[in-house]
Amino acid sequence: MSPLGLLSRGEQAEIVEIRGPKSCVHESSRHQLCHAEDMGLRVGKMVEMLNNEGRGSLLVKVDESRIAIGRGMAMKIMVKRQ
Amino acid sequence: MRTQKNADCGLRIADLKSEIANPKSEIKTITVAVAGNPNSGKSTLINAIAGTRLYVGNWPGVTVEKKSALFEYEGTNIKLVDLPGTYSLSPYTQEEIIARDYLVHEKPDVIVNVVDATNLERNLYLTVQLLELGIPVVIALNIYDEAEKKGYKIDTKAMEKILGVEVIPTVATKKMGLDNLLKAITNITNSVSMHRPKKLNYGSDIESSVSIVEKQIQNSYSQLSEKYPLRWLAFKLMERDSHVMEEINIENQSFIEEATRHLKKAHGEDMESIMADARYAVAAGLTREVLKKPEFKKMELTEKIDKIVLNRFLGIPIFLAAMWLVFKLTFDVSAPFGDWIDAMTAGPFRRWAEVILGFAHAPAWTASLATDGIIAGVGFVLVFVPVIFAMMFFITFLEGSGYMARAAFVMDRAMHSMGLHGKSFIPMLLGFGCNVPAVYATRVLENPRDKALTSLLIPLMSCGARLPVYVVFIGAFFTAYVGTVLWSLYVMGIALAVLMGIIFKRTLFKGESPMFIMELPPYRMPSFRSLMIHTWEKGKHFLIKAGTYILAVSILVWFLLNLPWGVEHKKDSYLGKMGQVIAPVLAPLGFGNWEAASSLVSGLIAKEIVVGTMGEIYVQKAADENKETPTLTEDLKEMGTSFAGAVKDSAANLISTFGMASLSSKESTEETKERTPLRDVIKGQFTPLTAYAFITFVLLYMPCIVVAIAMRQEFGTWKWFGIAFAYQMVLAWVVAFVIYQGGRLLGLG
Repeated sequence: MSPLGLLSRGEQAEIVEIRGPKSCVHESSRHQLCHAEDMGLRVGKMVEMLNNEGRGSLLVKVDESRIAIGRGMAMKIMVKRQ
Repeated sequence: MRTQKNADCGLRIADLKSEIANPKSEIKTITVAVAGNPNSGKSTLINAIAGTRLYVGNWPGVTVEKKSALFEYEGTNIKLVDLPGTYSLSPYTQEEIIARDYLVHEKPDVIVNVVDATNLERNLYLTVQLLELGIPVVIALNIYDEAEKKGYKIDTKAMEKILGVEVIPTVATKKMGLDNLLKAITNITNSVSMHRPKKLNYGSDIESSVSIVEKQIQNSYSQLSEKYPLRWLAFKLMERDSHVMEEINIENQSFIEEATRHLKKAHGEDMESIMADARYAVAAGLTREVLKKPEFKKMELTEKIDKIVLNRFLGIPIFLAAMWLVFKLTFDVSAPFGDWIDAMTAGPFRRWAEVILGFAHAPAWTASLATDGIIAGVGFVLVFVPVIFAMMFFITFLEGSGYMARAAFVMDRAMHSMGLHGKSFIPMLLGFGCNVPAVYATRVLENPRDKALTSLLIPLMSCGARLPVYVVFIGAFFTAYVGTVLWSLYVMGIALAVLMGIIFKRTLFKGESPMFIMELPPYRMPSFRSLMIHTWEKGKHFLIKAGTYILAVSILVWFLLNLPWGVEHKKDSYLGKMGQVIAPVLAPLGFGNWEAASSLVSGLIAKEIVVGTMGEIYVQKAADENKETPTLTEDLKEMGTSFAGAVKDSAANLISTFGMASLSSKESTEETKERTPLRDVIKGQFTPLTAYAFITFVLLYMPCIVVAIAMRQEFGTWKWFGIAFAYQMVLAWVVAFVIYQGGRLLGLG
């Protein structure tokens, strides 16, 4: 298991856990994570890293969408490499 | 128009009365809310259906755009309301809250759910939530052509059967399926009860809990079950949705706890996650059921382009090249039209006004007010119309094609140092054209913190209105280094924005930078029609807002320059006196004379006015009064031929842009010819050093009045404008001081 932020370009992985406070309400950081889940980044989903340069935001593909996320958030999403 | 609800349970008495009083209302009006994911082609669909009948406003209290349209279709009045694009109906973003509140409280008759056929699962996640509301739904299965091209097979019949709603394949960009969609909508209103969507089964655990909560609501809080869709309300109570809990404020919540206890125990999660998972499971199951994908998929065009455009080394150069092209095209295409408008307002319109007022025996001061004040002032605005519209057109193109989101992604890293993320780059970039649309463009940012910080930095982006001032001074003093001096001003603005961004991040906006998440849509060719609609919507803003304020303010400036009555010398006018008061403050910057100070005061309104006022103060009008006055027919002929000339020039510029030929030399010689008198006077009044300090001051000293109004509108308070005003005044003074005094120390003065 490793954070999504450590995948390199072209790697595929399955999301296994999203770390953060339990509830979506009130806390802004968790808020954003819940929003990410609504956009399709959720446990059980296969993701493919499209762009990751070690700094700044990165780009992942989940289903048919390309989603750019900040590194901070990417480090809270845990994945299992294929 | 009224909304006819409860069509299946008969009309209410009030309705009947108005029916009798107003026989026209036999045509019934239905309200149709359009919901869907961002990038599902929702707005293209609405544009295609509504066309010119589209009305764009704001959702009350917020700055999220609200589009609506009213039109007749086969004997039914349809009121379309476009909901903000959302991924879900959870209360995480402003858009989601708006969409949800509208659906729950305004109770539209029908929901049209625009679903991206190429990205079924995630789109159906929203569909599942819409169905909970119990409002009849029609699914527009949009972008159907692309799905087919990809080899997707979607069983729409099975979808209809499982969801209990009609599914209409559409291709909004090609206007396909729209008629079927409208038919489906009107069919529903004839028999609403037949079209209630199915209750989707979320699994026996959840279903048994929800039925307990539903019963409890009906027994103890029956008034709520009338106000809210019952099943939806029960779900929200189970999730302890904070917004709903606040709205309904029920005391005894123990029954909810009881009904959900076993669920939480079994799943070991909070109810919100359990419910989200259940909904997603339904969406995923449905997708598996109805969608057949081909085994092999080839690399898509979007991915091929992204490989290059987002490349670590190529990304930023490509972005800069794209921006250069946009600016070049904007100015090359629009400049001839701007010049044409300028010539028209300064020439024929002015003369006609003089003639008309002369016939009417109007007193001389009204003629001066009309020509020097109103026509010159409005002329100022009109000259910028072609530039603004051209720029909005290209920006809309970049947005619509999908590149704008990539630009934000590429620039994200650079923006981080300023405490902003990549999305802020779009409004900042617009700021180079005009700060006003830039402030409105901060709407793309969800977070109030980002919006405020971005708006504070936007005025440091040197807008088009400052260019005329630079041009006059550079033309007078720096003819040998035109490009370099101009470039230095733009770069100085950007550098100071970075610096101020870092300072603000550490002071006013302490705390963690917000997280960045955005979808990069696939590349698409925007249709010409939707380009035109969006360009118009963006440009209209400028036309109305800037037009009214600049008109009012140019009248004000005229009065300030011409009062008290019969003032002989501009120095003794109110504006001149203001200039005299302020001048000593500017003395350490090298331009402590009343003329410069008065011009700067008038520039508070719009920076290009600095030049206009200088012209009025410095240059005697006598020069142009000996000219022969052309006749009306000559005027009209001249207007026609010069417009044709403008079209030709614009087209020639467009071609030369792609030929990469430079027109700047030609432009600058024209400028020299035109403004020579003012330049000569300025040469006597400034030195190169004071001139540079002066244009630096103009670059920095404060956002114009129209920006102030835009900021007030966007934030509902003067606070952010106040901060911008204060910090920029200080910054401008300090920087101009450093330049002038530093220059003197180096012996440049």
